[in-house]
Amino acid sequence: MAEPKTKYDRQLRIWGEQGQAALEKASICLLNCGPTGSETLKNLVLGGVGSITIVDGSKVEFGDLGNNFMVDDSSLGQSKAKCVCSFLQELNDAVKAKFIEEYPEALIDTNPSFFSQFTLVVATQLVEESMVKLDRICRQENVMLIFARSYGLTGLVRISVKEHTVIESKPDHFLDDLRLNNPWPELRGFAEAIDLNVQDPVAHKHIPYVVILVKMADEWKTSHGGTLPSTREQKREFKELLKARMAAMDEDNYKEAIDASFKLFAPQGISSDLQQIINDSCAEVGSSSSDFWVMVAALKEFIANEGGGEVPLEGSIPDMTSSTEHYVNLQKIYQAKSEADYLVLEERVRNILKKIGRDPHSIPKATIKSFSKNARKLKVCRYRSIEDEYNNPSPAELQKYLTDEDYSIAVGFYILLRAVDRYAANFNHFPGQFDGGLDEDISRLKTTAVSLLNDLGCSGLTLTEDLINEMCRFGAAELHAVAAIIGGIASQEVIKLITKQFVPMTGTFAFNAIDHKSQLLNLC
Amino acid sequence: MASQEQLSAIKRAKVLMVGAGGIGCELLKTLALSGFQDIHIDIEHCSSVEAIVELVIDMDTIEVSNLNRQFLFRQSHVGQSKAKVARDAVLRFRPNISITPYHANVKESSFNVDFFKEFDVVLNGLDNLDARRHVNRLCLAADIPLVESGTTGFLGQVTVHLKGKTECYECQPKPVPKTYPVCTITSTPSKFVHCIVWAKDLLFAKLFGDKNQENDLNVRSSDTANSSEHSEDVFECRKDEDIERYGRRIYDHVFGHNIEVALSNEETWKNRNKPRPIYSKDVLPEEQTKENGNEEKGCAADDVSAMVSLSLKNPQDIWSLVENSRVFLEALSLFFLKREKDIGNLTFDKDDQLAVEFVTAAANIRASSFGIPLHSLFEAKGIAGNIVHAVATTNAIIAGLIVIEAIKVLQKDNNNYRMTYCLEHPSRKLLLMPVEPYEPNRSCYVCSETPLLLEVNTQRSKLWDFVEKIIKAKLGMNFPLIMQGASILYEVGEDLEEDMVAIYAANLEKALSELPSPVTSGSVLTVEDLQQEFSCSINIKHREEFDEEKEPDGMLLSGWVEAPVDKDNNKPIGNDESTSNDLPSVETLEGEKDDEIQETSEVVETFAGKKRKLSEVSEVTAPDPSGPSSINQNKPKKLDIDDEDDELIISDDWESLTKKKKL
Repeated sequence: MAEPKTKYDRQLRIWGEQGQAALEKASICLLNCGPTGSETLKNLVLGGVGSITIVDGSKVEFGDLGNNFMVDDSSLGQSKAKCVCSFLQELNDAVKAKFIEEYPEALIDTNPSFFSQFTLVVATQLVEESMVKLDRICRQENVMLIFARSYGLTGLVRISVKEHTVIESKPDHFLDDLRLNNPWPELRGFAEAIDLNVQDPVAHKHIPYVVILVKMADEWKTSHGGTLPSTREQKREFKELLKARMAAMDEDNYKEAIDASFKLFAPQGISSDLQQIINDSCAEVGSSSSDFWVMVAALKEFIANEGGGEVPLEGSIPDMTSSTEHYVNLQKIYQAKSEADYLVLEERVRNILKKIGRDPHSIPKATIKSFSKNARKLKVCRYRSIEDEYNNPSPAELQKYLTDEDYSIAVGFYILLRAVDRYAANFNHFPGQFDGGLDEDISRLKTTAVSLLNDLGCSGLTLTEDLINEMCRFGAAELHAVAAIIGGIASQEVIKLITKQFVPMTGTFAFNAIDHKSQLLNLC
Repeated sequence: MASQEQLSAIKRAKVLMVGAGGIGCELLKTLALSGFQDIHIDIEHCSSVEAIVELVIDMDTIEVSNLNRQFLFRQSHVGQSKAKVARDAVLRFRPNISITPYHANVKESSFNVDFFKEFDVVLNGLDNLDARRHVNRLCLAADIPLVESGTTGFLGQVTVHLKGKTECYECQPKPVPKTYPVCTITSTPSKFVHCIVWAKDLLFAKLFGDKNQENDLNVRSSDTANSSEHSEDVFECRKDEDIERYGRRIYDHVFGHNIEVALSNEETWKNRNKPRPIYSKDVLPEEQTKENGNEEKGCAADDVSAMVSLSLKNPQDIWSLVENSRVFLEALSLFFLKREKDIGNLTFDKDDQLAVEFVTAAANIRASSFGIPLHSLFEAKGIAGNIVHAVATTNAIIAGLIVIEAIKVLQKDNNNYRMTYCLEHPSRKLLLMPVEPYEPNRSCYVCSETPLLLEVNTQRSKLWDFVEKIIKAKLGMNFPLIMQGASILYEVGEDLEEDMVAIYAANLEKALSELPSPVTSGSVLTVEDLQQEFSCSINIKHREEFDEEKEPDGMLLSGWVEAPVDKDNNKPIGNDESTSNDLPSVETLEGEKDDEIQETSEVVETFAGKKRKLSEVSEVTAPDPSGPSSINQNKPKKLDIDDEDDELIISDDWESLTKKKKL
């Protein structure tokens, strides 16, 4: 077996060959290779991204040896980017690694087009001003961007892309798509051919619960004016009815039917999340629409027409007690319906492509198929620009967080991280960065924070003394344990963005190592 | 603010790290670097750990599949000791720390309670339930704090265990790997996993494993077949027998003859689809294999592969019956030609390419016999090896959290310990979910003295059954001592007198009620593990009958809970034990299967059309408490966490945890 497949075996089981191929095609740029940046990139190099470029203008100093694993005594005085780059190259020779010895801030100012060559930029330890500029550049060039910062015992991760659409969102828990409450003719026909009252006890206990529920639902409807159980009382009654049909106490298929009866009670039709996606203005497609939105437009048509309010059937069924024969047949019925739905959707996609003047075959079959099977799980993530987040804060949202016990520390750190940048712009150092003068730094940071809160439209609110003291005591240190966590989280989000699988975080992630609390602040 | 005293306690700290795998690599690095902050050592919670003495124990050697995350290892280290290479890699960068590696199994007797007592804290980065339970007991006995961890895919957890203050690792029951009723495996498989279990635990073990192990491969056939006299030597390669011929004989025996024998029992098939016997000559006419026979490719014995010699490239392809049959015969003969010295002591290993090929092929042939869909080698390997997804990112996060907890432990910052769950999808705005540790479970048989109850047929079950199926398999003891009152029924140890060894060996073969000190209903046994310094009492209750399918051990242990029912819905579901549960669920680890896991707050919120609080959510999803709890039975309810082939847990019940303990 080819070596790389063995090496990546454990992660292929998470994101599959397609996800791995996307990673191997990606080219990643890292700005600043302190512990946060180095750790983020280390995780991506191990996973096998295509290429990395490290941008850092600093030399390795004694202090770096204490928190960055990728430099050692022999690196003192050398380019940090170079040392980290050669360490990372050692981890995985399939990755093309290079470095540029230059300060990111300078590069952002002098050579903005530099960034257009990358799939994604990981910007670590940047201050506010550079973040805003870089964000503008990346949005213009359509390069994905993620910010990561560790600061003492706190840290922050924030994604910035205009729009990220996900077909394979792979939710942890999702109701399976059985259509028990809305069976199509073939499923109904299959159920009708099976006699629930069969005398043979072995046959009786191997009727799959899907069949039991479809038939019992019909029976219920006949005696209840065509409606399914809806009240609590009716649902209980329905379960009693199921129980009464058991021929023996050990019939697992009936137990499963009782347990699964909530699937029957679930509402028909599509979820409100999906409704929102098909109602999105992007679903009115034109020649510049992305493949995703073209498929959404087709899905919208499908739901309104052939689907009768439902999306294409997913086609897989869960394990259940059943004879092998029934189970295999049931699988075939679900797969056939799923395949038929997909073909209709594909036809619609092709027609829309024609209509908007694109090659009708420009979206591959496999993509449409995956879209069809995942139609219930589509996700659209959008992120405000950093500039917009900073210039047009939402005072109401901030106030809500500041007064909410669960969020006040997280949002406090968020505000203070911005305050320390202003502080540094004024005083040329971060609060508490140098020995002595801590008290003065504290009172200056407090003043800075108050004026920032004013600018944010939260003038009445204050941050606790403790938090401000704590922030000053951090002295802008990058602690390795915190950097490892922030780097781990940032790299995880990078993988989600690049593989287009799973749902990336849609807010500003704030971590506080004091009590391991982390919050997503909905500010972007 | 930490006092000077506390700080110096940390500087002197001796840390024992068990496991140098995915989490271990990250952990060692993070520990080493947390000792060298040249800045602000006075910051509370992040004091420096200057002179850590780290002891690393790991029995594993480095595999290629480790390299995607265990960053202290390189291609050139494959095959070497993890503990040693990890130490060297860290010392290269941080020469002034003391790190002592042990390339050993933590269950060895030299790692006893006295050894553990030398440390201030123990950090686990383990990959299996057994070792975790063992370390837990030693930490309890030595009264040393334990920081426990695990990851799978994007999920992870860190927990802190302090004797008497927080729950011990075993206070919450752990799910045990699923077992299947013997007859499902031997006669009536209905899922691919049944075929895998058959191929791996029966056929592979029979052909290449310890010949003295009990094996059910032929059990069913000898029950019904009229001639069983030659069934034992069928699997031996006869003198002068050509290896090709031998392979075909085995093939015909297990896929042809055994199926015919099974078919002769008509009762079994009344309501089932009959399997189809498959003979090698029908699938692969002789000449065909001859052409493709195992050519000498001159590869090293370690990486012989049937796929390579048959030019099958993609492990994600699903092979046809013909291809599977070729792989089967080829792998079998490669074992005999290239790895003969291994035969007789092989156990299935997911990193053994040839073993995976053989098991995949055998499982697929059996699956086609029973009309079960075939699977690719990649998928089969995942099922057979119980492979847990593993990725660098999660390990990095978890290791960072472990270090933060370890520092709190060293500072005796008791009120701030957290159990932290790392979630795949930020849920309710949380990605990391901290929870205050629970108090010890007062009925935990490990850290409290609550007795267990064993229902058993004392006239039929032998002491051997009790030792193997209960003491070892369920209670996780390695060196048990069993006593009734003052009389010792059984003991294991190196310094036993020979006559005692003989007596204990004889006792093993006796039914419980026939022992020198008879064990009957009402008896109380004391079971001790001297190495773990752990003992518990078991009350015996005689019971005549057991359900063969649901209680294949012929015994039922209670008070020892495994794979529990959702605690929030206190609804007992029969007296199911997940190990003996005949539910058709398969604990697949494939990502897509996750879809079957139902009910999330997301779904619920959609149903309700608006956000709801957790308490209301359970109302909505669970109009009847039996709803969610019993459905949970159908799926792996606890996430398997660990670095590799793990069995540990993250509670996927974290929602209910938050409900109780949300910070």
